[in-house]
Amino acid sequence: MDDIDAMFSDMLQEMDLLTQSLGEEAESAPLPKPPTIPGPQEMNFSVGFTDFNASLHDLEDNDLDALMADLVADISATEEKFATEKDTLKGSAPVAPIPSQPPSNLSFPGSSSTLRQATSSNSIAATPPPPTSKPSKEELEEQIKADKIKLALEKLKEAKVKKLVVKVEIMDGSSKTLMVDERQTVRDVIDNLFEKTHCDCNVDWSVCETNPDLQTERGFEDHENLVEPLSTWTRDTENKVLFHEKKDKYEVFRNPQNFYMWKKDKKSLKDMKEKDKEQLLEENFCGASVIVPDLEGILYLKEDGKKSWKQRYFLLRASGLYYSPKGKTKASRDLVCLVQFDNVNVYYCKEYRIKYKAPTDHCFILKHSQIQKESQYIRYLCCDDEWTMTLWVTGIRIAKYGKQLYDNYKAAVRKAAGSATWASRSIQASSSASTPSPTPKARAANGHAPQPAVETKGSSNQTSFPPPPASMETLPPPPPDPMLPPPPPAPPSTNKVNQFPPPPQFPQSSFPPPPMDDLPPPPPPPPEDSELPPDFLPPPPPIFSSCGGEALPPPPPDPIASLPPPPALQNFASAGGAPPPPPPPPPPPAPAPAASKPAGSVRKVAPPPPKRTTPQLAAPSVG
Amino acid sequence: MAVWDLSVSVEELGPEAPPLKISVTSDLHIGGVILKTVEKSQIKQDWSDHALWWEQKQQWLLKPSWTLDKCGIHADARLCLTPQHKPLQLVMPSSIVLRMRVCFSSPVFRTIMGICKLLNIRRPEELSLLWPVEEKKKKKDKDVGEEVYDITCAPLPSTGTIPKLANGMPAFFAETPETEVVYKILAVSQPAPAPETIAKLYRTTNIMEKAHINSRWLDSSRSLLQQGVKENDKLILRFKYYTFHDIIPQADVVRLTQLYEQSRWAILLEEIECTEEEMMVFAALQYHIGKVSLTEQSVASCPAMEDLDSALQCLEVKMEGESSADDMLETMTAPELHDYLKIFRPKRLTLKGYKQYWFTFKDTTISYYKSKEESSKEPIQQMNLKGCEVAPDVSVAGQKFCIRLLIPGPEGMNEVYLRCEHEQQYSRWMAACRLASKGKTLADSSFSSEVQSIQSFLAMQKTTPRNNTAQTDESINTHSLVSPRYQKKYKPKQLTPRILEAYQNVAQLSLTDAIQKFLQIWQALPDFGLSYIVVRFKGCRKDEVLGIANNRLIRIDLSVGDVVKTWRYNTMRQWNVNWDIKQVAIEFDGNVNIAFSCVTANCKIVHEYIGGYIFMSTRCREQSDTLNEELFHKLTGGHEAL
Repeated sequence: MDDIDAMFSDMLQEMDLLTQSLGEEAESAPLPKPPTIPGPQEMNFSVGFTDFNASLHDLEDNDLDALMADLVADISATEEKFATEKDTLKGSAPVAPIPSQPPSNLSFPGSSSTLRQATSSNSIAATPPPPTSKPSKEELEEQIKADKIKLALEKLKEAKVKKLVVKVEIMDGSSKTLMVDERQTVRDVIDNLFEKTHCDCNVDWSVCETNPDLQTERGFEDHENLVEPLSTWTRDTENKVLFHEKKDKYEVFRNPQNFYMWKKDKKSLKDMKEKDKEQLLEENFCGASVIVPDLEGILYLKEDGKKSWKQRYFLLRASGLYYSPKGKTKASRDLVCLVQFDNVNVYYCKEYRIKYKAPTDHCFILKHSQIQKESQYIRYLCCDDEWTMTLWVTGIRIAKYGKQLYDNYKAAVRKAAGSATWASRSIQASSSASTPSPTPKARAANGHAPQPAVETKGSSNQTSFPPPPASMETLPPPPPDPMLPPPPPAPPSTNKVNQFPPPPQFPQSSFPPPPMDDLPPPPPPPPEDSELPPDFLPPPPPIFSSCGGEALPPPPPDPIASLPPPPALQNFASAGGAPPPPPPPPPPPAPAPAASKPAGSVRKVAPPPPKRTTPQLAAPSVG
Repeated sequence: MAVWDLSVSVEELGPEAPPLKISVTSDLHIGGVILKTVEKSQIKQDWSDHALWWEQKQQWLLKPSWTLDKCGIHADARLCLTPQHKPLQLVMPSSIVLRMRVCFSSPVFRTIMGICKLLNIRRPEELSLLWPVEEKKKKKDKDVGEEVYDITCAPLPSTGTIPKLANGMPAFFAETPETEVVYKILAVSQPAPAPETIAKLYRTTNIMEKAHINSRWLDSSRSLLQQGVKENDKLILRFKYYTFHDIIPQADVVRLTQLYEQSRWAILLEEIECTEEEMMVFAALQYHIGKVSLTEQSVASCPAMEDLDSALQCLEVKMEGESSADDMLETMTAPELHDYLKIFRPKRLTLKGYKQYWFTFKDTTISYYKSKEESSKEPIQQMNLKGCEVAPDVSVAGQKFCIRLLIPGPEGMNEVYLRCEHEQQYSRWMAACRLASKGKTLADSSFSSEVQSIQSFLAMQKTTPRNNTAQTDESINTHSLVSPRYQKKYKPKQLTPRILEAYQNVAQLSLTDAIQKFLQIWQALPDFGLSYIVVRFKGCRKDEVLGIANNRLIRIDLSVGDVVKTWRYNTMRQWNVNWDIKQVAIEFDGNVNIAFSCVTANCKIVHEYIGGYIFMSTRCREQSDTLNEELFHKLTGGHEAL
């Protein structure tokens, strides 16, 4: 519970920061409006109910009341105010779930349960644009009123978004608590956890659920939603959510031959060429339909409601798991379907030799995710060895999820590659920095923060910058720009903020110490370059890129900014928004990792960009 | 130079007429021979399509500038002046028979290109021609009833030009209403055949018979006439190579339809085996495709209409986006169902019957109360149907309309039966349950179509299986959707609910989506894409079966039916055919050598299959749309290619 409290106090502080920065915010160019932006005034956050359903109902009523009160109060607001409000709100996005109540309200009943349910009506979705022309006052008011109603309805919808506070156990026995909303995929949650745990971000990391009653474990697939399966857990559940590496998660894509040519001797497949592996994947996953490994063989099946296990000859097909009944051939027409995969999931089991007198401990079960206890509707299967079990479980996953699995893998690889380059680059940067080097923790965070930047790679101006960090030292620093103000001191953070030299040079110039002195003065970013930082700057917040080409990164807030904001905060805030466009950037995280540096310097440098529009525009053409 | 007499028969003079004797010298070229023959025949007509055929050598003399000497023609040669294009009866994959003029003089590969161009089928290299199975005498009388669509009036396809489209079909078909009808028949899937028809058609029952089918493929590097095809013969057009490259639904209407028809017949005639569960999905998709193609028809084939459609959709979306606050308020209040229904929960040792309660259905949840008056109070029970299994338990004759629900809960699945009073009530509640099981609410746009499809399925049960003559979409015999094996195993009454169950998952698909889904499931079958040939491996004394697929060769033991060995093409170094001893030898990586002689088919067919698949695999890399005919010929031609 401690970490939740800590989390909320962090949130509170951050909200203060944001409110202060709001004034400056409002002046900057309008940001593209993300569909859901929380307004601090509507915040109503409740956690820790004993009865989930009841709490949901209560909460929604409360929210409704608050919402209606707001509406009545606001209805006379003028157009200008409405517009400004919109502008100011966008800055506050990351504060979304910050409770307006004091943190003391957020106590939890001391139960062993891992998750808590909460809803918050904290977002404004798709605020209609204010009318551009000025019609008569009545019309105007009418319009505003209509907009408000629409707004309120959107808020109502938003209020229905289910959120869970989930405690995730990490390998080392520690745990992290984070809020997950029902629109977040497991991939989002993993990314979130990467930032919190500073692990190596490889593709094997997965979020798993365990069920001690059934002694099962299942890794969630990256595209699944986390909230849905978790909300079917019973109230007094002992189930846990784990975050650890699972080698079998994507093994099929690393060594497809072991699955698709499983009949062959594994040793002979060991040295398969990468090219042949790729072709195997291409054949099986990229055609009109995904080809499921042609698994067949004897498995043990626990008979319905009995204690005995019977051997049967099983075959895996895209349409389901089949066995051939005694005395029949394995021709398709004679096969009996044990289960189809539409509604069931596959789970690894532990120690079934003791629990169910299974022939071996290598068992897996197929069940509806809702079923939490022993039941006749669960299919229990047992394999001779661990590899056979992996083979079947993976095969079933391919049959169930098809191409989605491959897409998940590719996304995970992209993520992992992105964070790997990042990690190496940030280490390079920090080691070469002459000024106080960031604390190890901050450095690690730098390594992970840019993951979202990988996502933005598709945007036009980023693609032109190849990431290789190796080539940096060789190129000359950009020429100092005479038009720029005197260089501020050059702590690493300044370094980051100022990296806007003409495009071709800037990846190189950022890291080696000598050019660094020159760095503060280089030409400020051309407006369209404002998207660039996430690609090469370690610390910017993940949502940074969402400001698109239209607006510059918001200025960092007051000195208090040195408090490191919890990384999770940004993330679940971003999750609170509607999926496609992430909410606008929270200003604080950018300077945050630079906590140890003089905060003043940070702020001096950041605000200028908006003022220097002309040189910015000139810069790229020169460079 | 010596002048000698050459006998040339002219087809136009009739078969009985004696051949014309024309006096020639050895340095006269073929063009001159034709000219002389035409003059002597004294027939005035367009001779441009005619060419000389050398009967004894079974070859065409297509190079007009070659002299008789160069061709090796002497006085004993019997030549025949005949048109290069002649009518042929072509059985399409949909088992429709077209009568059209095709080229008898060019290699079959090119002839097929011409056919496909006329019929607007892209990627002609995937198709080929084969001889039909010899029909038994007794079937002759039935043949009379078989309709042949004559499109011999079509212009001869000229290679190279892109067919002009009119009304979304090649210009030729748009010319007359009759030809337009023919195009529609090609582009729209055929209504389900009567179960008797399926049962009567020739079916392969074992792998040997399947292997025999593959002995009937024509040689793609020789002409039709060279292979003994005569005017008005019947040949079958089929997709031969099971790699369907680059399917674009808008451009491939005929191709997709014919592909679907071929796969459908493959399943109905058990050419490819599937499990019972898969058969039910295939049946459901056939039913759905049949139903949707009646309404959608060839609208999809017209690109202009497609644009209009998407424009309309855009507009719709826009309008939705601009919906007023009132509309949004309306959508906020979700629709509900309420009725008095009867519920029954089978539990151990309790034999209580159905009890009546007041039921409401909201979002994905059913709640029930003692009575309507108490519906404002706490419900007796609430059931969330998300993720549950829904099955019908219906007998129209017995006026029993029950819904069986298996609702997953922490302890297992809860079995619940809901009994409705009548059809209308049942179809509404059933539709709601189905949507809820998939996590959709009553507000979902598919609700009304779901209700309708349930009603039309109920209607299916009403009709007796005997009157299958009048097949509208409302009354279809479910027997015509499954293979004879399942026709025997189940009565239509038993079959309908099972198909209905599978139908739930496909009912919302559009026509092309449904066809593509059908093809996808077909392609995911374990035995998909295997062409069998009976062979005898070198050093073995018994016959075995070689299966040829798009990426591998497999060796099947005939006695057990098991796959003994798999070789993948990407490990193949080379393959050779010894045409004299009719043996195919293949070398794979790691010094693996195999050699076999072909028992059921000519080794040219095996050679062509392997070369053809290699050719198909080169297509993906090539960006250009033009067909590399030369490469195909090189890979498949054998000694003709040299």
